[in-house]
Amino acid sequence: MRRKTAQRIMTVGAAAAAMSLLVAGCSSPSTSSSSTKPVSASDITKAMNTPTTLNFWTWLPNVSTEVAMFEKKYPKIKVNVNNVGQGAAQYTKLTNAISAGKGAPDVAQVEYQYLPQFELTKSLLDLSPYGASKLKSSFSASTWNQVTQGSAVYGIPQDSGPMGDLYRADILKKAGITEAPKTWDDFATAAATVKAKTGSYLTDLPPNDAGAYIGLLWQAGVKPFKYSGGKDVTVNLDTATAQKVGTYWNTLLQKNLVAVDPNFTTQWYQGLDKGKYATWLTAAWGPVFLQGEAKDTAGLWKAAPLPQYSTTANVSANLGGSTDAVLKSTKNPIAAYELAKFINTDQQSIETLNTKQSLYPPQTSLLNSASFKAQSAPFYGGQKVNALFADITNTVDPDFEWPPFMAYVYSSFNNTLGKAIADKTDLNAGLAAWQKSIVSYAKGQGFTVTQ
Amino acid sequence: MSAVTSEKVGAPGRGASSATGRASRRRSKGRAGSRKSPLLTVILWVIAAYFLLPLIWLVISSTKDNGDLFSTFGYWFGKFNLVANVESLSTYQGGIFWHWLINTVVYSVTSAVLAAFFATAAGYAFAKYVFPGSKALFYSVLGAIMIPTTALAIPTFLLFSSAGLTDTPFAVVLPSLVSPFGVFLMSVYAADAVDTSLMEAARIDGAGEFRIFFQVALRLLGPGIVTVLLFALVATWNNYFLPLIMLNTQTLFPLTVGLSQWEAASSSGGGGSQALFSSVITGSLISILPLVIAFLYLQRFWQSGLATGGVKG
Amino acid sequence: MTTSANTLASARPAAAERRRPRTSSDKRRQHIAAYVLIAPFFLVFLAMLVVPLFYSGYLSLFQTKLVGGTTFVGIANYIRAFTDSQFLSGLGRMGLFLIIQVPVMVCLALFVALAIDSGRAKASTGARLLIFIPYAVPGVVATLLWGYIYGTDFGPITQIFQALGLHAPNLLSNANVLGSLMNIVTWEFVGYNMVIMYSALRSIPTDLYEAAEIDGAGQFRIAWSIKIPAIRPAILLTVIFSIIGTFQLFNEPELLQSIAPNAISSSYTPNLYAYTLAFVNHDVNYAATIAFALGFVIMIISFVVQIAQQRSQRQGASA
Repeated sequence: MRRKTAQRIMTVGAAAAAMSLLVAGCSSPSTSSSSTKPVSASDITKAMNTPTTLNFWTWLPNVSTEVAMFEKKYPKIKVNVNNVGQGAAQYTKLTNAISAGKGAPDVAQVEYQYLPQFELTKSLLDLSPYGASKLKSSFSASTWNQVTQGSAVYGIPQDSGPMGDLYRADILKKAGITEAPKTWDDFATAAATVKAKTGSYLTDLPPNDAGAYIGLLWQAGVKPFKYSGGKDVTVNLDTATAQKVGTYWNTLLQKNLVAVDPNFTTQWYQGLDKGKYATWLTAAWGPVFLQGEAKDTAGLWKAAPLPQYSTTANVSANLGGSTDAVLKSTKNPIAAYELAKFINTDQQSIETLNTKQSLYPPQTSLLNSASFKAQSAPFYGGQKVNALFADITNTVDPDFEWPPFMAYVYSSFNNTLGKAIADKTDLNAGLAAWQKSIVSYAKGQGFTVTQ
Repeated sequence: MSAVTSEKVGAPGRGASSATGRASRRRSKGRAGSRKSPLLTVILWVIAAYFLLPLIWLVISSTKDNGDLFSTFGYWFGKFNLVANVESLSTYQGGIFWHWLINTVVYSVTSAVLAAFFATAAGYAFAKYVFPGSKALFYSVLGAIMIPTTALAIPTFLLFSSAGLTDTPFAVVLPSLVSPFGVFLMSVYAADAVDTSLMEAARIDGAGEFRIFFQVALRLLGPGIVTVLLFALVATWNNYFLPLIMLNTQTLFPLTVGLSQWEAASSSGGGGSQALFSSVITGSLISILPLVIAFLYLQRFWQSGLATGGVKG
Repeated sequence: MTTSANTLASARPAAAERRRPRTSSDKRRQHIAAYVLIAPFFLVFLAMLVVPLFYSGYLSLFQTKLVGGTTFVGIANYIRAFTDSQFLSGLGRMGLFLIIQVPVMVCLALFVALAIDSGRAKASTGARLLIFIPYAVPGVVATLLWGYIYGTDFGPITQIFQALGLHAPNLLSNANVLGSLMNIVTWEFVGYNMVIMYSALRSIPTDLYEAAEIDGAGQFRIAWSIKIPAIRPAILLTVIFSIIGTFQLFNEPELLQSIAPNAISSSYTPNLYAYTLAFVNHDVNYAATIAFALGFVIMIISFVVQIAQQRSQRQGASA
């Protein structure tokens, strides 16, 4: 599931919560669950045969299917599922519940980029003593790298979003283009041709989606954040490479060759349906999502890798995806860990997540399975979309980190770089403003910032 | 602002008027000399159309599916899909929408009844008794009308969270019980509607102060109570911010928070998410019907209640 | 706040003061009754309003960092607030909103109230109810509704412009979104203000202007010289409530933000800013400060409006 930006920050007293948390964190270092002694097999057997009720917060629709599989395997464990909102809305409630010291779940769905924020407040349980380290080989390198901090493991990957390019083959064909642009130069040329011949924009550059823009920077090789716990953080968005990306899109925007509609709005949905955009640069969860939302255009779409900066390159980035994390406050850490592990490693469960809930798998077993790769998608004219994204997964640079204040990074995007996109002014000035705003926030919160 | 007072008090026939005296001064609808003006009628109905058109759009749109919502003209029908919309509204997430409707009714009726009762008792006391500190207390109530709500939302949340009250119905109901404007309105209304000589007569008959309040005053205060009740009802029914920050459990949500969560789900993409536009629109229509009906049904009461509070304000 | 309180308090009936209790035991019994009657209200008033208010004031004197904990900073947060360009520009935006939207809304409400009260329009009862209905629509639904109507590619407004072969305005652009918000708020509250004014008009004793009517004075003249002055307190009440409402604007911009994410910044209104500070930026202390500073500004503006009102009234009287 993708974490959609701070656009809908329905949040709540997170702030307050964070404050009390810190106070609590400083005064009373937590005792019981911070032990690094490995849990023995007999401990696990005992825990899984003790009647236990777990609370699980997730916004995944129909998750009760997977939960039922877990309850069938462990009849003594009962799981209550609660959907408290998607993305930012849930994190706020989570932070509040943690600070209230009451009402926090045992297991919660958390997107990759928000893990550091909860690590900072020491709210997540390190899963390595429970055996999580052994799961490393079960997941793609780029997702596993995002759930670990040194030897600690803070979440079990649930889905991932390697980025590709979904395009309307019919619109490109009308413009005389037979395949998706291979390089960004081709993409710019195609943008002009498509606009002139069909009236469609080649793509939409959403001014409200920091995650999507970070994806583009990631692909270009920008590594804006470094954080490994503690008070030191690196914020380095405004680099020469990032400016190159800005300059590229500046040109397209100035010529009015790409749209700047906020995404996931009514206007954007309608644009997708009506062929206003000929491509959608999105993640691997995009294909199935699109299939549900733009039914009228079935059969007209195709999928391809992202355009590249050189003809020899083949790199992608990750956009969205989430994990299941265990809260440090849980009274049943073993059962909670087993739930997070079961949902994301049990073969039947992960297949259901993929086929019924359209999550794109981070699990290597599924990514490498022949039947998974062989599935052909009628919406994409019978193309083997799964196989394409499985290959893209391996081209994502796994070395990418997130700062412990993502909510702010997202919300300030809309007022800085996002605003420059919406107004079609200089994106590099917007980028500089974004950098400046994040740095000043981080300093105000007491971090030592390296730029 | 003594000018305001003297103006009001100085108006002919005011002063110590009783409720019946006031009624006789009120004009009947078809009073003499009201020739109809076509121009004024047209202007008035053009204005009324502006207020009505968005609601007509809502009614028409609730009969469309997601596709027609964006591809057909907003003020004409597409495929008639209302039944299917209500059906999917009723079944999505196990029919939680009706849960939200019931929650909203429970929260707002409980809050409104209690808030109206508290405001009535306090307003009546301020109007009819002089007691040590009454002035200071009354002023503090009036000052409170001016406090911005966010100034309170955050601290209230923090206090409730340390008291373990968040994520319970109390978190929504308790803060809604305070209606300083209701106290103000009731004090103005009670001063006029409850005749002091009537109270004196009751006292001479040996009635206690509480009996006077419950058996004499409450009946006379009827329209005022309905007004305060309805305004408190609207305030809780329409409240979004407070339940948004206080509640976590979906089954406790009121309509406003639930509908905006669905709307938010449509505007955050991702695997498994659904565009729920037609459900949100149909749900919005259903969510406003009870209040609209309540206002139409009770208009006689709240209008006369305001007639007193309004002129004095 | 006391001045505003004065305005409202002026309405407080004097009847009670004129009445003299017969004996001191009666008096004591009545005092007790009064205290008992106000007790339930003041109990919740204290717990739900006064305590959180003081707690908020207390919070505003501290600073909390994600890394480093909480320190006492005195009035530093207030100094920061009144030099914070985001807060000040939000205030400025609301000032503009106030200057444009409140007069439009109040005048429209007054016009409708007078038109209906004059009895010269047909079916005016129906019109009165229709105009009032939007008040019963939650802000959440109203904003959602107008959001669709404003839709740049599919909304009815765009559709009508396109049908006429005209270029449709983008009602959600930077330049237009404030006007679009004003429209939503006007739509929601004209009816409410109209009902307050209409009720006030209905209780003007008719003899006040029946004579004028007999003398042949027109409806405009009667409205201007008799009716409007007579309901001045009700008008002032609606103006003061509108001022308070304007500066507290939150639901509408917050919900419209999802379809106009770049035109409505997270500090678009002071209240939205306080909310973002508390719940996104993790800065509860500064959020409490902004909320407090906002209350202060509202107080000053209400005060100025009342003084201006008083002065114009005095001039009117001497003229």
